[in-house]
Amino acid sequence: MRRLARYTLLLYPLAFRRRYGDEMCALLERTRVRPMTLLDLVRGALVAHYRAPAALAGLVDGADRMRASASGVLACWVVFAAAGFGFYKTTEDAPFTTAAHAHPLLGVAHVSVQALSVVGSVAVLAGALPLILPALKQARRDPGLRLRVSLPVIAALVFVGLTGLLVVAAHSEHGHRPSTAGGLWFIAWGLAGLGCAAVCVLAARASLFAMAVSRGSLVWALACGRLVAAAMVGMALATVLYTVALNVDASHLAGSPNGPLQATSVGASLLVQGVVMVLAAALATGTTRRGRRAAG
Amino acid sequence: MLTSLAEGPKHGYAITLDVERLSGMRLGPGTLYGALSRLEDKGLIEALPADARRRPYRLTAAGSAALREQLQTLERVARSGLDRLRVAEATG
Repeated sequence: MRRLARYTLLLYPLAFRRRYGDEMCALLERTRVRPMTLLDLVRGALVAHYRAPAALAGLVDGADRMRASASGVLACWVVFAAAGFGFYKTTEDAPFTTAAHAHPLLGVAHVSVQALSVVGSVAVLAGALPLILPALKQARRDPGLRLRVSLPVIAALVFVGLTGLLVVAAHSEHGHRPSTAGGLWFIAWGLAGLGCAAVCVLAARASLFAMAVSRGSLVWALACGRLVAAAMVGMALATVLYTVALNVDASHLAGSPNGPLQATSVGASLLVQGVVMVLAAALATGTTRRGRRAAG
Repeated sequence: MLTSLAEGPKHGYAITLDVERLSGMRLGPGTLYGALSRLEDKGLIEALPADARRRPYRLTAAGSAALREQLQTLERVARSGLDRLRVAEATG
């Protein structure tokens, strides 16, 4: 739990961490860390993003500020994508398609999430490409950077391997009814996927801070980041709209069982996904705003 | 937190313990450092050189004045409240 709390500090703005990070780590080492402590840290990080003390601005130079913003948007996108995948799995079955055809608001919200996810994904790739190419070039000469750059590739390969295992496990099951073992496999796969995604984000961030990168590439990455953040805001709003519309227009679907173990309802799943999306979109918007100020 | 620092410089953990003793409320690390950053930004407290990874904070002159003003206001409110309760109990 203490280690998780230390990782939660990564949600704070770079300047805040540079000023208070060591002190907060020292405090966490002497404090009993509970779930409420984690919630307090998350809430504190959100406040720090939106009410950052002016005096902290001088602790981070413009280039580092832009690096932090670009990697921050990537982290938010990954968290958002996990919630978005949950949204896709929750609403993929035929009754939801039928409901989307019968109720225009549901249909519009669902299509909006899909369209904006394409916009966001393209913007992430467009922003990352001018940073990936120089990273690969510099990694040839710098062993430390080579390790950082190769970590995301290794994490992605591990995830692909785990996905293969999940598919094999799914095919080996008899019948189409969801089983407990299948649900547990899916949860394990999801947690492993989150772990791999965290490795990708942290390694990408470490690479970005360790390499030389032109101001133009960072400005371009931030411009794409703004588009990503806007797409995230749009998708979060569409998800909230979808959740409300489903509860009003198709309440029987909202109350139906959901989740890998069928232990929750569709409405509850959508609520959690919506909250995660709103938080990730808010953090992405905050970090791009600071990056834009640094870019001038 | 200003009251806690009124008796001398303290670092984050010591402030947490003191605030808990004074008010019964345990400050989380996010709340504590969010408040410290805002108080520092307003010039009400200042950081002293770090001792290992712990950095003590102390009240500034402006912080002392702000604390005194707040406490005097609280004292007036408390005194008025108690007087009114006494009058109400005496009359009825």
